[in-house]
Amino acid sequence: MLSRTAEYLYWISRYMERAETNARLLDVGYRMSLFPNPNGYNNEWESVLAASGAIQGYKNKYDIIEQKKVEDYLFFDEDNPSSVYNCILNARNNALVVRTSFTPESWLAINKTYQEILKLRNNNFNASDLPNLTEWTIEQVNLFRGSLSSLLRNDGYNFLYLGLFVERADNSARLLDVKYFVLLPKPQYIGGNIDNMQWSILLRSLSSFNAFRWAYDGNVTSTKIADFLVLNSDCPRSLSFCIQNIVKHLTNLTCSPEKVTKIYNTLKDLNTKIQEEKIESIVDFGLHEFVTQFIHKISSVDSDIQKEFFN
Amino acid sequence: MYQSESLIRNHYNNINEWLEKMTAKVINEKNAEAETHFRNIGITFSTNSETARERIIPFDLIPRIFTFSEWSKLEKGVIQRAKALNAFLADIYNQGEIIKANIIPKELIFKKKSFEVSMFGFTPPRSIYSPIIGIDLVRTNHNEYFVLEDNCRTPSGVSYMLENREIMMRMFPDLFHTNRVTPIDDYPTRLLQTLMSLAPIKCNSSEPVCVLLTPGPLNSAYYEHSFLSDQMGIEMVESTDLFVEGEYLYMKTVDGPKKVDVVYRRIDDEFLDPLCFNPHSVIGIPGIMDVYRTGGVNICSAPGAGIADDKAIYVYVPEMIKFYLGEQPILENVQTWSCDKNDDLTYVLDNLSDLVVKEVDGSGGYGMLIGPKSSKSSIEEFRRKLSTNPRGYIAQPLLDLSFSPTLIKNQVEGRRVDLRPFCLIGENAQLSSGGLTRVAMNEGSFVVNSSQGGGVKDTWVLAE
Repeated sequence: MLSRTAEYLYWISRYMERAETNARLLDVGYRMSLFPNPNGYNNEWESVLAASGAIQGYKNKYDIIEQKKVEDYLFFDEDNPSSVYNCILNARNNALVVRTSFTPESWLAINKTYQEILKLRNNNFNASDLPNLTEWTIEQVNLFRGSLSSLLRNDGYNFLYLGLFVERADNSARLLDVKYFVLLPKPQYIGGNIDNMQWSILLRSLSSFNAFRWAYDGNVTSTKIADFLVLNSDCPRSLSFCIQNIVKHLTNLTCSPEKVTKIYNTLKDLNTKIQEEKIESIVDFGLHEFVTQFIHKISSVDSDIQKEFFN
Repeated sequence: MYQSESLIRNHYNNINEWLEKMTAKVINEKNAEAETHFRNIGITFSTNSETARERIIPFDLIPRIFTFSEWSKLEKGVIQRAKALNAFLADIYNQGEIIKANIIPKELIFKKKSFEVSMFGFTPPRSIYSPIIGIDLVRTNHNEYFVLEDNCRTPSGVSYMLENREIMMRMFPDLFHTNRVTPIDDYPTRLLQTLMSLAPIKCNSSEPVCVLLTPGPLNSAYYEHSFLSDQMGIEMVESTDLFVEGEYLYMKTVDGPKKVDVVYRRIDDEFLDPLCFNPHSVIGIPGIMDVYRTGGVNICSAPGAGIADDKAIYVYVPEMIKFYLGEQPILENVQTWSCDKNDDLTYVLDNLSDLVVKEVDGSGGYGMLIGPKSSKSSIEEFRRKLSTNPRGYIAQPLLDLSFSPTLIKNQVEGRRVDLRPFCLIGENAQLSSGGLTRVAMNEGSFVVNSSQGGGVKDTWVLAE
């Protein structure tokens, strides 16, 4: 497999994953905007922007933060490199270059999505259309992931999944972090009802609300949710699940065993630690600190993969 | 389709019945279905206009049909021509017998930009310079086919031939139950076999590694590049994926360098090797020509193959067939005046308003004059161009291209068509069982080029 092909495959699934995360984030903002807005909380749309890493770009463009503009910026805006539109556009342009490493089904899944978002973009949408846009995005991304099952289980497949889980690990970690430090700026709210309500919204945004109910008995507590999203390897969005899958698809690569081993060695400790760790000790250590370390680690794995395989 | 005013040619009877049964509603639905399909699979092309970056070519639902015997003659004629063109290339880059025999003037060859000096004295595997040749054919009202143009570099359009058939089979399966249409879907396999049969001398493997070299996604034929490499199961590379080390060419893979034996290149000569051709080119693989000339890799088509499809050389192809093959040409050229000959030039200048004038290096239907359809001022403009640079032009009569029934606003109307079948020459010489039919969608138009409002049709060859 060409190095360039591997790189493009890796980025296609990163972009598709990112499109979904951004659509889900918008949904979080939308849900929160339907609840009364108590003092001490930041504007929910500002937190959504922060979580998406788009706040600076947004402020360069607009003076005030309001729903319609945020929706537009995160969904359709060409100036926002992570807008759902740009993610789909980039994934599609990458797919165009590597469609020989794809099955016709997976190319169709991406290209149809692209053709449809071009149409959506030309229709003026209302603020209340947002749930439909989110739903559409999730559907399209699922279509793409489903089509991957038709691929040969070769290195291309593993690079696609490496991209997917590196992106998801990063996104899940950032969402967790935003919940702690953007949504709840005042420590006295931690553990309160509103706090739990927001954790529930976080679960919904990660498509894990019902799953959480089935995985844990009794009351919804922030510790249980943190356990679910950080350590529970049954949860397909947890940090633990992501890291396990990064290891799995990395070690499944058949090319360049010495490079694989090199990257695996840098990941081994984190992988072991996350399997054995208890949530209580993470909370004692500080969830924010833990998550920050995690994000750094993922980012260095990402640059190792790029350096070793794509150059 | 019509023999005379109202008589339908026999082999179109089935199609005619089918057409009569289709309602306007069905036609509209099928047209929309075809368009959506082409957009979804991404079979688009770029035009020179900045506004619409991705366009799809209009597709006409009515197939063009050839009988087995009609096609057999074309097949023999095209293969004959393709062999002669390759023999011509082998000759001019070596002994130059055809020049010594005073059949083609040497200045017509050696002064051309498409003549590649670095090819002198080198013979590629099997003496094949141009393994994929697209010959553009037209039928006139005499029921005879003429060759309009040869394409020996990197003829495109074969992906349309294949996708047009796919969409027809998908939309109208019944048509294929009632008509015995020769399949064409083995073309990519045959192309790969052809490329593999052209492995360089230093390749020991029985399964040579082939790649398709593309200029990248901005090229107008990019869809075709990815389609063909996908169908053949070979890597589609850009020049940055390749590099020369020692005597061989390699591609950069996740597993380290991998040796490449045959490059099916879809980029122009001048971008192949900055060391040999264009030193200012940022694309290209430094050193590939050295590897090529020493038998480490084969480049298909060979650099310098373009001289064979030069419009000034075209005039001499019937002579080539006689000279190299000792045969009479099966397919005739369109009558052509070469403006570098004084007598011809005088005739052309006297009859400009009746003739079609083309640049010898032009393509895509650009830079040409269609005398009977042009204003006085553009005719005068061409008169000036011809007088200052006669060698740059040829002229041909305006051919009465055959019509093919075409759906225009749900009505069947006649539109002019041409045909490009694809000939492969490696270990064997063979012709695709079909080709690309291009149709001038505008009423009265003679220009079938997709860049200027041309459309395409599925092309059937009926089994014997």
